[in-house]
Amino acid sequence: MATLRLHSLTATSEKIPTSPFVPSSRVLSASFHCNEKRVSRRMTINAMGGGAKYKGTQMREKQLSEMIEKKVTEAKQVCEGDETSDECRVAWDEVEEVSQAKANLRLRLEVEKKDPLESFCLENPETEECKVYDD
Amino acid sequence: MAVCSAYTTQSLNSTCSISTPAKTHLGFHQKEVVFYRRSSKRGGSGSSSGPCVITCSAGDSQTVVIGLAADSGCGKSTFMRRLTSVFGGAAEPPKGGNPDSNTLISDMTTVICLDDYHSLDRTGRKEKGVTALDPRANDFDLMYEQVKAIKSGVAVDKPIYNHVTGLLDPPELIKPPKILVIEGLHPMFDERVRDLLDFSIYLDISNEVKFAWKIQRDMAERGHSLESIKASIEARKPDFDAYIDPQKKYADAVIEVLPTQLIPDDNEGKVLRVRLIMKEGVKHFSPVYLFDEGSTISWIPCGRKLTCSYPGIKFHYGPDTYFGNEVSILEMDGQFDRLDELIYVESHLSNISTKFYGEVTQQMLKHADFPGSNNGTGLFQTIVGLKIRDLYEQITSSKTAAPLEATKA
Repeated sequence: MATLRLHSLTATSEKIPTSPFVPSSRVLSASFHCNEKRVSRRMTINAMGGGAKYKGTQMREKQLSEMIEKKVTEAKQVCEGDETSDECRVAWDEVEEVSQAKANLRLRLEVEKKDPLESFCLENPETEECKVYDD
Repeated sequence: MAVCSAYTTQSLNSTCSISTPAKTHLGFHQKEVVFYRRSSKRGGSGSSSGPCVITCSAGDSQTVVIGLAADSGCGKSTFMRRLTSVFGGAAEPPKGGNPDSNTLISDMTTVICLDDYHSLDRTGRKEKGVTALDPRANDFDLMYEQVKAIKSGVAVDKPIYNHVTGLLDPPELIKPPKILVIEGLHPMFDERVRDLLDFSIYLDISNEVKFAWKIQRDMAERGHSLESIKASIEARKPDFDAYIDPQKKYADAVIEVLPTQLIPDDNEGKVLRVRLIMKEGVKHFSPVYLFDEGSTISWIPCGRKLTCSYPGIKFHYGPDTYFGNEVSILEMDGQFDRLDELIYVESHLSNISTKFYGEVTQQMLKHADFPGSNNGTGLFQTIVGLKIRDLYEQITSSKTAAPLEATKA
């Protein structure tokens, strides 16, 4: 059975922010069509931080989030000894890399409102990554 | 654009077959079509059947190369989107290829991420103790060779650096576009690559603004805190100052983003002061100016004709020197609130290379949801996009070569 999950947001009348990472329109729109046989495929959910249509994108989001957490912990540990050491700098650079990658993915989903795997999945619909995300 | 010259003394209405030798007896390479007339064995009369040779040199379709130095990841940045939008069409990743490709392709432009030229993947960098900012983590020889090849019209197999896995993936084919944009940390680091650039831009974000933006970017992430964000910026600073920052003296245009001076002690990074620093004397590039070129102007557009809300808008324009180069600086502090403010400002700027009145405003409105659409970052990125279009048109029209000559016997 498919469930429709809505993230509750307060729509803000905020001006367009200047950060490259936070889009202005936090519009929540959900539309779904149900027929008796198959429910999940026709659900489209457009929510803040969502827009991920394919399993592969959802996996990447999760993976990157986990990596951020893990690498921040690593960096703190490595830097305990010497903050100016090479290892310390490399560790925080890794944190930056995955943080940026996650932000880019989020930006693409929210601003472009298109799953990055769209064109890949049109050509390879049968792969694991291209299973349509349904909960 | 290709130039074709047909060399023949024979009539072209005889049967010709097409052969494309790599190197003909005429001594040219590639991109040649040679028509050989099949000699019909019909008596000995008539003209000798020599080859009719049509050579097309596609070398005239030189790709215009733009370099963009930015520390905000690759190919997905707002600047790139605005730039490709000026040329029309949306930029998409290569269809059907590696889904983690960093490349963006539109009708006119291809944007390449310079992270693809990492010589060390994440593990390799960890082992050697170098950050991605360090030149030792990048293969500048390959970067130079491939950009040079694309510029001269040859497709290349470019590696892919996968930011999710941290590995170097199998290469993807990059065909020469009309405009190639190389974006990343080191577009102007290597002198040979620098010489290939027709125009270069450096996005210079001040430390305070960088901190504010990264807070907005990362605070929602579970792993991050104010301390971790700060620590990450601090740790990268030495390499950034040593390897990335020095590139700005080579840039034809620098977009400098600073905290506003309109609000005392503002540290939110929401209202911004943005400076467009334009080098003088750059071929095909005429700097934008306010009212009177070469003079110094301070301008507050808000007043009787235009009402603005707090904190308002303040412009400055004037000549200056920047790392020993003569430059013109156009500066905007504040925010646009309404459409009419934007059009009012646009109507007072000169040399913005628009094709019609209101084009800047139209472009900004088209992407009103992009970050920076209400301040100098969006405005100057859009203007630089139009200047690049202008530069491209100037370069390609100056290459409009001799018309097609086709001789008929």
